[in-house]
Amino acid sequence: MISSTLYAAKRRSSTALVRDKKLHNLFLLPASQTRDKDALTEEGVASVINELRMYFDWVICDSPAGIERGATLAMRHADEAIIVSNPEVSSVRDCDRIIGLLDAKTKVAEDGGRMPKHLMITRYDTDRAKTGDMLATDDVVDILSVPLIGVVPESKDVLKASNVGLPVTLSDENSPPAKAYMEATRRLLGENIPVTIPEEKKSLFGKLFKGRAA
Amino acid sequence: MKFKGKSFIAIVLSPEQPFDAWFKEVDRIISRSPGFFIDRPIILDVRGTNIPIEDLEQLLDGLNERSIRVMGIDGVSGTRLKKGMPPSFGGGRLASDVAVSEPDTVGDKDNKEVLSADASAVASSETSLVNPKDGDVNGQSVNGHTSAKPDKETSDPVPMEEGASIVIPEPVRSGQSILHPDGDVTVIGSVSSGAEIIAGGSIHIYGALRGRALAGVAGKDNARIFCTKLDAELVSINGLYKVADDFDAALRNSPAQIRFENETLVFEELN
Ligand SMILES: Nc1ncnc2c1ncn2[C@@H]1O[C@H](COP(=O)(O)OP(=O)(O)OP(=O)(O)O)[C@@H](O)[C@H]1O
Ligand SMILES: [Mg+2]
Repeated sequence: MISSTLYAAKRRSSTALVRDKKLHNLFLLPASQTRDKDALTEEGVASVINELRMYFDWVICDSPAGIERGATLAMRHADEAIIVSNPEVSSVRDCDRIIGLLDAKTKVAEDGGRMPKHLMITRYDTDRAKTGDMLATDDVVDILSVPLIGVVPESKDVLKASNVGLPVTLSDENSPPAKAYMEATRRLLGENIPVTIPEEKKSLFGKLFKGRAA
Repeated sequence: MKFKGKSFIAIVLSPEQPFDAWFKEVDRIISRSPGFFIDRPIILDVRGTNIPIEDLEQLLDGLNERSIRVMGIDGVSGTRLKKGMPPSFGGGRLASDVAVSEPDTVGDKDNKEVLSADASAVASSETSLVNPKDGDVNGQSVNGHTSAKPDKETSDPVPMEEGASIVIPEPVRSGQSILHPDGDVTVIGSVSSGAEIIAGGSIHIYGALRGRALAGVAGKDNARIFCTKLDAELVSINGLYKVADDFDAALRNSPAQIRFENETLVFEELN
């Protein structure tokens, strides 16, 4: 949530924060899509983030798509980064560039530190990875050389959840994408648990014809 | 007003007739390594060709269509250039020619010279540290080269002192560019597709080479390229280059070394 709203929010103090209806310890700072995004100054973003830091355990800053100014501003004051990639060449390439920026253009990097990074692969479709339509998780990890925090499967549950206005973790907590998000969260909090790679769907055809030698 | 000098590496393109064939080769490089000509100083070298100005115009149009921006033209006097054309340019130390290396030494000579590009360093008075952190999304990066003597008449590589080698302790990401025209570059990690290493000496990559590696750009033909996994877009030593299609398929994704021998690039598996 980075846009001019952040700047406005700063001037009107924390009143722009909206408390989530379901989770009472979650607040949102909505981003305006209409205002001139360049109205955001680096100092403005810095002071908003520093203010939020004082009141919250976690400040999650969503980055706009692409590798433009918005993304650079969003990452600038981060302590830690989650890089979300689709298992596609173009998406992985953009993530690679972003990782380069994380190591060069952030406060942490400029102060000589290393930005801790986590890789989240999303919309992963085992069948398509098998046929080579999509990259396999190993390939993505190999290309980006960033530790994996989770793999979210491609699933209709995500669309269903957004149609009822809920995050998938609340609309159906037993769905595979919800489980993947919960697992990633535990890992972000420091738990050392293995990453579940979504299973291949066993097709009926595959089973019927197995072992039938002619 | 203040003037500042800046040192950089330019790719020198030496077009050859027929231009259609030459542009095909340019397109082949672009298709394998889309970023190669982008945001990089390009010099068009037409010395010794006595090129008619109409042909030059046609060439510049062709380059423009491919988004290759020429910053200067070497070999045509400024008075002959039309308005809107890049300025006449002379100077810069010629480092080495880049020409197609034939898969076998017996390749026909004509083809070999289809495209020749030189990496040349231009006189400098500003030096900046070579650091992957300098690389930004546009891949612009100033090199750490000092005091090159502008010497455009010398087409032979200028012998130069052995420079210090540098170590990049992390992967080189897409869009980043490491320029070290004076010595060896060692990378601990992979070189991504869309990233590049340009070195005066050898290039050692402890990881996958998926981007571009140009070794020996200062005219060193004993420079080599080593990588743990060969999946490069383009490799070049002392000006000879090969793009991915030219590689031996058996070497793909293997540990490899590439060296310059008898005017060709030799690829070998490392084990
Ligand atoms: N696991 C999933 N399975 C199926 N569809 C998904 C999944 N995750 C996201 N989507 C769908 O993909 C679309 C884009 O998702 P989302 O907005 O989260 O991506 P984003 O990376 O934030 O995009 P942007 O970069 O434009 O901000 C949405 O329509 C969403 O419903
Ligand atoms: Mg988004």
